[in-house]
This record gives sequence, C-alpha cells and structure tokens, in this order.
Amino acid sequence: MTADLATRETTGAPAARRVPTPLRALLWVVLVALAYLLPTLLGGSDRIYTTVVLVAIFAIMSYGVDVVLSYLGEVSLGHTLFWAAGAYTTAILAVRSGWSPIPALLASVVVTVVLALLLGLATLRTREFVFSLVTYAAAIIGLTVVQNTTALGGSDGVVGVPLLELPAFGGTYVARTNAELWPIALVCLVLVVLLVSRFRRSRLGTTALMAQMNGELSTAMGVDVRRTRVLVFVLSAPITALAGWLYAYQRSYVSPDLLSPTFLLFMLTAVILPGRRLLLGPLVGAALLTSQQQLASLGGDADKIVLGGVLAVVLLASPTGLVGIWHALVRRVRGSRR
Amino acid sequence: MRVTKVWTAVCALIGALALTAGCANSGSAPTGGSGGSGGASSSSSGPVKVGVIVPLSGPAGPNGQDVLDAIQVQADLVNAQGGVLGRQLQIVAKDDQSNPANGVSAATQLASEGVSVVMGGWNSPVTLAIQPVLVRAGILNITTIPQNATILGNADPDAVRLNAGNAVGAYVAGQYLTKNLGAKSVGYLLENDAYGKDLGALLSAQLQPAGVAVASEQTFDYSATDFRVPLSNIQGAAPQAVFSANAAESSGMPALAQQYARSGIGAPHVAALGTVSPKVIDLAGGAAVDGLYSADIYFPDVAPFNGYPQNQKFADAFRQKTGNAPDKYAALGAESVEVWAAAVAKAGSLDRQPVADAIHGQTFTDTVMGDVSFTDKGQMQTKVYAFTVEGGKVKVLDEVPVPAEVWNS
Repeated sequence: MTADLATRETTGAPAARRVPTPLRALLWVVLVALAYLLPTLLGGSDRIYTTVVLVAIFAIMSYGVDVVLSYLGEVSLGHTLFWAAGAYTTAILAVRSGWSPIPALLASVVVTVVLALLLGLATLRTREFVFSLVTYAAAIIGLTVVQNTTALGGSDGVVGVPLLELPAFGGTYVARTNAELWPIALVCLVLVVLLVSRFRRSRLGTTALMAQMNGELSTAMGVDVRRTRVLVFVLSAPITALAGWLYAYQRSYVSPDLLSPTFLLFMLTAVILPGRRLLLGPLVGAALLTSQQQLASLGGDADKIVLGGVLAVVLLASPTGLVGIWHALVRRVRGSRR
Repeated sequence: MRVTKVWTAVCALIGALALTAGCANSGSAPTGGSGGSGGASSSSSGPVKVGVIVPLSGPAGPNGQDVLDAIQVQADLVNAQGGVLGRQLQIVAKDDQSNPANGVSAATQLASEGVSVVMGGWNSPVTLAIQPVLVRAGILNITTIPQNATILGNADPDAVRLNAGNAVGAYVAGQYLTKNLGAKSVGYLLENDAYGKDLGALLSAQLQPAGVAVASEQTFDYSATDFRVPLSNIQGAAPQAVFSANAAESSGMPALAQQYARSGIGAPHVAALGTVSPKVIDLAGGAAVDGLYSADIYFPDVAPFNGYPQNQKFADAFRQKTGNAPDKYAALGAESVEVWAAAVAKAGSLDRQPVADAIHGQTFTDTVMGDVSFTDKGQMQTKVYAFTVEGGKVKVLDEVPVPAEVWNS
C-alpha cells in the first residue's frame, strides 16, 4: 500500500509542475474567491452559512491529524486533546479574564504546543499500535480531568463565550452571525492549507515521509528520526487548536463533548475517506461529512451507521480512499477504450 | 525558490480579502437581535411552528420521545381549543443525540425553519449550547427538563426553566430530615458524580447550622447495583436517618431501596427528590419498600393532582397516545406547552421579549401541575410534596414549602 502511494506521489509531482507557476497561483486565487462566494451562490441562507463555517472549522481540525497521519504515518487518537485545549483556553481566557481573540489564540497555541511537546516526547519510542494507544490514553485522561475539574467548568463546560471581535479598519469587525464569521473561517482555512502545502515541500515534510517509508535507511542517511517525529507532532497540534479557537467563538460554549469520540472519528474519517496525502483531502472529507450531517441527515443513529458503513466500504474496496476508487475507474475506462 | 514568490503573492491576496471582509462592521445595528430579523423569521399566517429539541436516538432516546409525545399531546389539546392567537400549533422536532454539537445544529435548523419558540431538552450541556444560538436568532427557549443552575441568568437573560434544580431537592430533604423526622445525625448514600456530590454538599450546608451531624458518607457508582458494603458501613455508624441520592431509575435506585429495606437498618430512608417514581417502587418489589420517604412535584393519579381538570385531560390523552401513565417528565413537557400558549395569549404576540415578560414573575392557574408561578429569573415554582410508600403505592404526605431564592439556584 505504501509503495503504491509512493509511486503515485512521484508520478504526480512532475505532472503538476507542467502548469506554469503564475497560472497555478492564479488558479488558487480563483478557487479561494469561488469558495468565498460559495454560500452566496448556494442561496445564502443561515443554514448554508452554518454549514460552510462548520466545514472550514472541521477541515482545519482534520488538517492537524492529516499532518501526522499522512506524513508521519501514525494514527494519532489524541488530537481531540489539542482541539479541546484550543477551545478551552480561548473560552476560559475570554470569559473569565476578558481576553480578546488574538491574544487568546496565541495563548491557545502556546498551551497546545506544550501539550504536544509533552505527548510527543512521551511517545518518542512508540510506533504504530502503541503510539495510537498512548495518544488515546492521553485523550481519555484529558476527558476525565476536564469533566472533574471545577476550574475547567467540570461536566457543565464554560458558558457565554463572547462574539469574535477582530481589529479592522475604522474600528472592529464583529462576527455576530455565521455569515459574518465565514470570511474569518475561510482565511484561517486558506492559511492552514498554505501551511500544509509548504510543509509538504519542506525539508521536515520530506524527511518525515522518508522516515515513514524507510526509517532505517533515513537514519543511515543521517536523519534524526525521533527529532523529526516530535517536530511534526508539535507542528500538527496548533493547527487543530486553531480550529478549536474558532469553534469556541462559533458555538459560544465549550464542554467536555469536545473530547468525545465523535470529533475523533470525524477527523480520522475526513482524512482517510478521500485518501491520505492529498493537499485538499481533509477539506473534501470534512465537506462531505458535514454536508451529510447538516443538510441530508437521516437521524442520529442512521447517520452513525452511514458514516461507519461508508468508511468501511471505501476502505475495503480501496485502501487509498475515494481517490483510489477514482483512479481504478479511470484505469478501467482507459483500458476498455484500447 | 520561485515557489516562495508565488506563496507571497497568494498570501498578499488573502490578506487583501481579509481586509475587505475585515472592514469594521461594529457600527451597524446587530442582526438577528431583539427584532428577530435573523434567519427566516416566523410568518404571520398559517400554523405556528413550535420547535422541540430532545434526544431521539442513543441511550436517552426513549426519554426524549416521552417528552416529545407529551408536548405533542398537549399541543393537540391546545389546537382543539382553537390554538394560539387563532392559529394552530405545529410541532417541529429535532434530535440532539444528547450531544451539544448536534443540539446547536438542531437549533440553527429550527431557527431557519421559522419556529416561534424552542422547548424541550434532556441534558443540561445541550441546553447550555443552544442558548446563545437561540438568543442570537431572537427565539424564546423554554427549558423543560434540564436543571443545571447556570441555565438561568447567564447566556440567555430570558431563560425559562421548569424542572426543580438540586438546590430544591437538598432543601426539601433538609427540611424533612430536621423538621418532620427530627434527626440529629444523618448518613449519606451518594452517587459518586456531580449530581450526588452536589446534593451532598448542599444538604450539609443546611444540616450543619441546624446542629445535625453527618454520621457517615458512602459513595457508589451510577451503575452500581450492589450496596451491601456501603449499607453495612451506614449500619455501623448508626445514624438516626439516611439520605440517598441515586438517579439510576431502572437499576440502581430500585436495588438500593430493596437492599436498604432488607438490611435491618432501623433509621428511616429519605431518597432525594424525583428519584422514587412509581416504576422504581414496582421494580423494588412494591410493598417491600414500604416506609421509604421521598418528594416530588407530580403524581398523575394521586390527590391533589387527580383533581386538576387540566391534568385529567392531559393524562387521558397521553394514555390514549402512548398506553402509559404520564410521569413527571411528560407532565413537564405538557406544562411547557401550556405555559407558553397562555403567555402568548396574554402578550398577544409570538415575539421573544413580550412572551418572556409574560412568563417571568407571573402566575399561571389551573395547569397540568396545578397553580404554578415563575420567579423573576424564570424558574417555575410548583408545589413540592413529601410522600411515603404504603402498601407498595405512593401516599402523598405534606407539601414542603420552598422559598423563591432556593428555586432560583
């Protein structure tokens, strides 16, 4: 499976480079502009704006897991911890100490980086199953601690997060509705996609991939695998925390449900369903899942069965996700034409 | 490094986008505020949509369905009387799956469907999560079942809460233990979670000034069904009365009541408000738990409730629809429709503020739960009755008056 992915990666890269760089940049700009107008094009109702804002937030949340899952090759079951840490830090600072959003975001980043560093160092020697288990244990500890700590709101959570208010020309920009929150969420999403894209080409990104593909070889080539693992893990945490920051303002309430398996399953599915190691994969995954839940819900129990069923079918049919099924279809069509 | 230049260009563009979007908007009037202009606001003709958010799937699904059935039954009764403001009520129910995130989605959907009010709720975190959404959408929220103290007077200044909170439960137990039973030492059997600990702390705060000692405090898990160890510890401490807080209606509480009755502890057993339903007595073996004390705010077939005409009508209609007698939660569901409909009629409007004003600090006579009144903070005050089990049946003893400040907390 990994070999298959590696060939796709290497054959894909030159094809992408054929498009001249300025044109590619222009394409991206058009894409972002289209994304910005998407809710208006879809009718601009409250429900549409809520859906697109949630897609952006959940996509950012999933990008954190994506960095670890796709490039380090490890399944982190502890990213709900960073998601909750971002939301809780923001909510507590905003509600109890009256912090404004930007300092609260910086504090959230600091808190999650410290958490990720601790967890990253603790899991330094663990791989695969044990890594997943240890990160999951961390998330369970987090849930128990949050539920039983009065200073963190206990099982009631933290109520009354104020509106997201950012400094802007001529005063402040206040996100009172999801429609007003949409530009901010979109900017955050685009910045995260840029960051992940940059990471994919960076030395750290390529080293991480190399360490995943062949750890012994990369060690022999002078790569410090452990350092790489910790760095990638620490990089992934503030991405998910940024989503938590947005979510705290969007929902205006944080509670221990942020640490529940619901969000964990969501982020893992959003990465795995479209196919790993795709730049826009988590965004597509989050969009598919959120649209189904928000706009085409079949009811609580049925939604869970659909989610689990789709994931199982896609993974059984093609371990590389939806994109793998797409490639197989294309190959078959081309084959039959010959 | 041409790539970097491209990124710089893209970043600059996003910056520009951020700035155009980021022009100050704080001067304009708030949207979706008190005027209710946000989303698809309710139309002025056709049926009046009443939103209901309850868990309809997962472990609390049956409970939520019960509350929804009661709301539907009561809405049908209101419709048979001509509806509100001459319009029929139409119930629009959404499943919150006992999960705050889904509750928020449900509230957003109801707002876009133009409901005039949202009632229901089973879990407090869901209610706390939907409050800001409904406040921003300009829709009144009536909290039917959740009893968390932070529901009142925080995110929603117009919050309305119907169920009695822990403070009322602790107050009633404290009054009964000291005044009626005259106990000088009390043993505690508490659920080892927020509910049990909270009740224990609130009760101790009352008992200490009255000079009553806590002889022993025993805790157990919500899922526990074997209480022999805590009960023998209580027996060893020999208190004059025992207070228990066990909210596990279908397993833990019947087991606790039964094992207490068999343990040979002579002291009377006072169970927390709302933990001894007729179902608990049946499961515990009926007359086997004779002498157990508790308190509650609704009994469908017992005086004085069986004498209220509104309750008779509701209980009959509920039995016809579901085949079961309504319990307290069903009654609270019916009560939320009844109170809201009466407030709308009084206010002559469906808007959030006038209807909230017609509830806060007001009294409603002849409802399913008899005469009820609301504190200025929005908490419903009902009559609380102490009762005992006699011959395997509920026997209502006396009303325990509860002051307004206790209701509000």
